Amino acid sequence: MSVMRLGFVHIRVTDLEESRNHYTNTLGMDVVHEEPGKLWLKCWDEYDHHSLVLEEGGVGLVKLGYKVESEADLVSYEKRAQQFGTTTGRVSKGENLTVGDGVRITLPSEQNIELFKDIEFTGTKTGSLNPDPWPREQKGIAAHWIDHALVPAEDPGLVEKFFMDVLDFHAAERAITNPSHPEVLGSWLACGESPHDFAVVKGPNAKLHHFAFHLEDWSAILRAGDIMSMDDVSIDFGPTRHGITRGTTIYFFDPSGNRNEVFAGLGYRTFPDFPTVNWTEDQLAKGIFYIQRELNDTFLTVYS
Amino acid sequence: MTQVTVLPDDVRVAAGDGETVLAALGRAGLKYRIGCRRGGCGICKLQLVAGEVRYERPVAESVLSDDEKVAGICLSCRAVPITNILVELQEGDKLRRVLPYGFASGNTGAPPKGSRS
Repeated sequence: MSVMRLGFVHIRVTDLEESRNHYTNTLGMDVVHEEPGKLWLKCWDEYDHHSLVLEEGGVGLVKLGYKVESEADLVSYEKRAQQFGTTTGRVSKGENLTVGDGVRITLPSEQNIELFKDIEFTGTKTGSLNPDPWPREQKGIAAHWIDHALVPAEDPGLVEKFFMDVLDFHAAERAITNPSHPEVLGSWLACGESPHDFAVVKGPNAKLHHFAFHLEDWSAILRAGDIMSMDDVSIDFGPTRHGITRGTTIYFFDPSGNRNEVFAGLGYRTFPDFPTVNWTEDQLAKGIFYIQRELNDTFLTVYS
Repeated sequence: MTQVTVLPDDVRVAAGDGETVLAALGRAGLKYRIGCRRGGCGICKLQLVAGEVRYERPVAESVLSDDEKVAGICLSCRAVPITNILVELQEGDKLRRVLPYGFASGNTGAPPKGSRS
């Protein structure tokens, strides 16, 4: 029993209508529910009720929801989080729309995550009986699903330890100062077989670095870049390839300045016995932007 | 149309109606320290030495506080000049010219079709 995946991302936006346009017309999500000042959205290939909550007022992360397999997981992860020394709380059914009882954990880096088991099942756009491979009417980039999130932390090593010791994640890749003095600068952590479901890099607490949308392949990344230019989306970096995870990518910003990523290519699978890949500080730029081997001046300094 | 003057180089560019400080400088081929371009990070703050700006889109208090506004700090990706303005780059930052054809003086105002933020 374990954490299965990133279930939802809940962020703040300064202008709900600009954000609606970005996440629906550019990224191709569908609005599944709305209330004054708040939107719930999902991607066509996701089968739970929603994967993104937009709340008007401010910018940045409200919380990340991770979906677990069983009720017993909730009890056990809550207890282990308390033993680790993190602040936890209970989330009642319905506090998050269609989501069941859960456990709230404030990470050592001050972001909130919520573990839940139940959320309304609404199915994918193509269904699960003799499905077509993709829905032809989907708008814009037509992202498949929200894949992972990355947050900054003053002590990324402690956040890595939390995810490994408490939530049973394994480190697929890690950025360290150098092998003889391996201070953790970043960690890419998986709960399933994909290279990462959560990641952390050294930076300010309580902020969001980005959350990512999965696309099919490298050509979908190029097409996404074309659509971003048509829609005047602010680009941070890319298209390029990551050394870390081997994924192909574009980083960009939503209309409120929250960073998004389109990410393709499951570069490898990570089983529980996967040997962690390490990147030293002097080669980290290559790990992040494999082709350019040089960081731009925003990637590790701009957070929302 | 308003005029944006950037210290310490005393470079002048024209800003079209509703055009942000960042967009006007970018259209003139000038770069300086910026972040998300969408009001989310606060990296592109400038000191507003003279003149007035307005914000046509909401700006998060966590990005630009009322105290900062009073202290004459503006968020250049969101600030639209409503008078001629004089701004100063952050300490250690400088204007870089990335479009080497003509210069800021060639930026005469009305943005052509297709030039957005």
